[in-house]
Amino acid sequence: MTDKQQRLIRCFQAVFPELNESEAARASVSRLAKWDSVATVTLAAAVEEEFGIQLEAQEIEEMNSFQSFLNRLDDR
Amino acid sequence: MKLIEALQIANAAHKGPTFHVLLACGFTPLHLETAVKAHLRLGLPTRSITVRTGLYGDLAGTLENARELFDAVLVVLEWGDLDQRLSWRSAGKVNEEVISDARARLNRIEKGIAALAERTPVALSLPTLPLAPVLHTPGNELNRIEAALWEMLYAVAASTRAAVLHPQTLGRGSAHDLRTELMSGFPYLFAHADALAAGLIRMVLPSALMKGLITDLDETLWSGVLGDDGPDGISWDVEHKTQFHALYQHLMNLLAEAGILLGVASKNDAGLVDKALTRPDLVIKPQNLFPIEAHWRPKVESVERILKAWNIGADSVVFVDDNLLELEHAKMAFPEMECLEFRKDDARFLVELRDRFGKREIREEDELRVASLRGGQAVRRAAADNASLDTLLAGAEAKVAFRWGKQPPNPRALELINKTNQFNLNGIRYTEADWNAYLSEPATHLVVVEYEDRFGKLGKIAVLAGREQDSGFEVEIWVMSCRAFSRRIEHQCLKLLLNRWDPVRFRYERTERNGPMRDFLAEMAPDGRALRRAEFDRRCPPLFHQSVRTGD
Repeated sequence: MTDKQQRLIRCFQAVFPELNESEAARASVSRLAKWDSVATVTLAAAVEEEFGIQLEAQEIEEMNSFQSFLNRLDDR
Repeated sequence: MKLIEALQIANAAHKGPTFHVLLACGFTPLHLETAVKAHLRLGLPTRSITVRTGLYGDLAGTLENARELFDAVLVVLEWGDLDQRLSWRSAGKVNEEVISDARARLNRIEKGIAALAERTPVALSLPTLPLAPVLHTPGNELNRIEAALWEMLYAVAASTRAAVLHPQTLGRGSAHDLRTELMSGFPYLFAHADALAAGLIRMVLPSALMKGLITDLDETLWSGVLGDDGPDGISWDVEHKTQFHALYQHLMNLLAEAGILLGVASKNDAGLVDKALTRPDLVIKPQNLFPIEAHWRPKVESVERILKAWNIGADSVVFVDDNLLELEHAKMAFPEMECLEFRKDDARFLVELRDRFGKREIREEDELRVASLRGGQAVRRAAADNASLDTLLAGAEAKVAFRWGKQPPNPRALELINKTNQFNLNGIRYTEADWNAYLSEPATHLVVVEYEDRFGKLGKIAVLAGREQDSGFEVEIWVMSCRAFSRRIEHQCLKLLLNRWDPVRFRYERTERNGPMRDFLAEMAPDGRALRRAEFDRRCPPLFHQSVRTGD
């Protein structure tokens, strides 16, 4: 697992403390009932803080899985 | 604190009695709620935290409909709460009418706060974000409408019973996140939400304030070296450009008025110090300084003697000196004591020093503190010898007044409970809401004890509370100020209880600091749990007080 993935997992676990590492790495809106709009905004803020980036509002709305956050970080 | 850290703290499993908070704001609370939970968890590690929030856009309604009993209420006001047209998310055309509309809304908010503040601590923050660009005036100029709105807000701040967060404490850094406000209704950058939460919570939780300040003299209380420059050569004035020392002296007077103990630890010639302290232009009142340790022995010895004279722990004391070596030495000897370098001409130094001792209100006991310590010296010296203590107390003309009753609540009682470490039955601290809940239990009794003798008035110095149990009485709370030691007031308290109930039981818990209580119970009730009248009569030394009781 890369450092980037580890840090992203830390963000997910801060928002969803019940997830273990592998569950966090597979998390998505469809798999996780607790993932609502508030969780999306909180995740986005945590990821912005951890990686020192700023996401656009449009992008945040499209973030619906661990993978989508990871892809965004890879694109930067 | 960072958001991830706050989330981890806020979401961690927790146990303990619930601390129930209302976070009243007109926006989506989002990260502010997280920050509030995290700071409360850190401030109240033995409690579980629940935070209730209100409806979006209806701060006044949230306050008006808050019927539950909260342990604390945090009210976070922003411009949109006065009128939606003033908010960024719903910015609209604004004219003079907005002032009367805002006044009506603010009146509702003020009444809601007043009703809640009757029964629970309330902390209020005034708008921290810039007004949306709804006025024609450029931002560097204060618009008349905005000025009128601020006038209303400051009028509320001046009259409310809530504690109001000083707008300048949050600094001038960026606070606003328009992107998240438009997207989710949450208007703050997390750093701002974190600072806001910390500031509000500090005002509603009981805090351990510093009780004493020990200061150096040369290059600290005054500019110059007394031994070299002589009493007339030291200065604290405009002419010598040493006025900062006068400000420091002025601050010390202010602290003394608030009951803070001020002592001197200086390597100096005692005779010269006496002369310097009689200079008529001295700003500090010499009677505010007690004790004065001026000699050539190590300063840590002076600190030790001062702490003994004050009878308080080093962790309640700040030591100020310009000499880093002395500070280091003091820190090594008293690791719990805060050792501060005197920073000449640094305004922040004075402000930060003041804030370590800051109090919302000053009570009669605060003004009596130094005088009673001076008067108590004779008592403390005699306490080492029972025969001379008997003689001294017999001639002390002591009066102990026991004020029974729970209403109206006496704020000094809660203050004493939360600041007393040594003569404290179990060290349990109470929030204002916990305390009010305790008093509202029909079975509980409360007595506040006042004392005076020919050495001076000590004021309200002890609190006892508990409940009847079988034919006896269980003491659940018992604290007494260290200023009142060696006067056998604690014996008189037991006598009072045993005149009415037999036996008296104690909900005693050992703490790191309650050695004096432990020693007293070991003497009077060796099992630490209960005492009967006959045992008390056998063990109690002679009491000479005139005892007066009122209420209950």
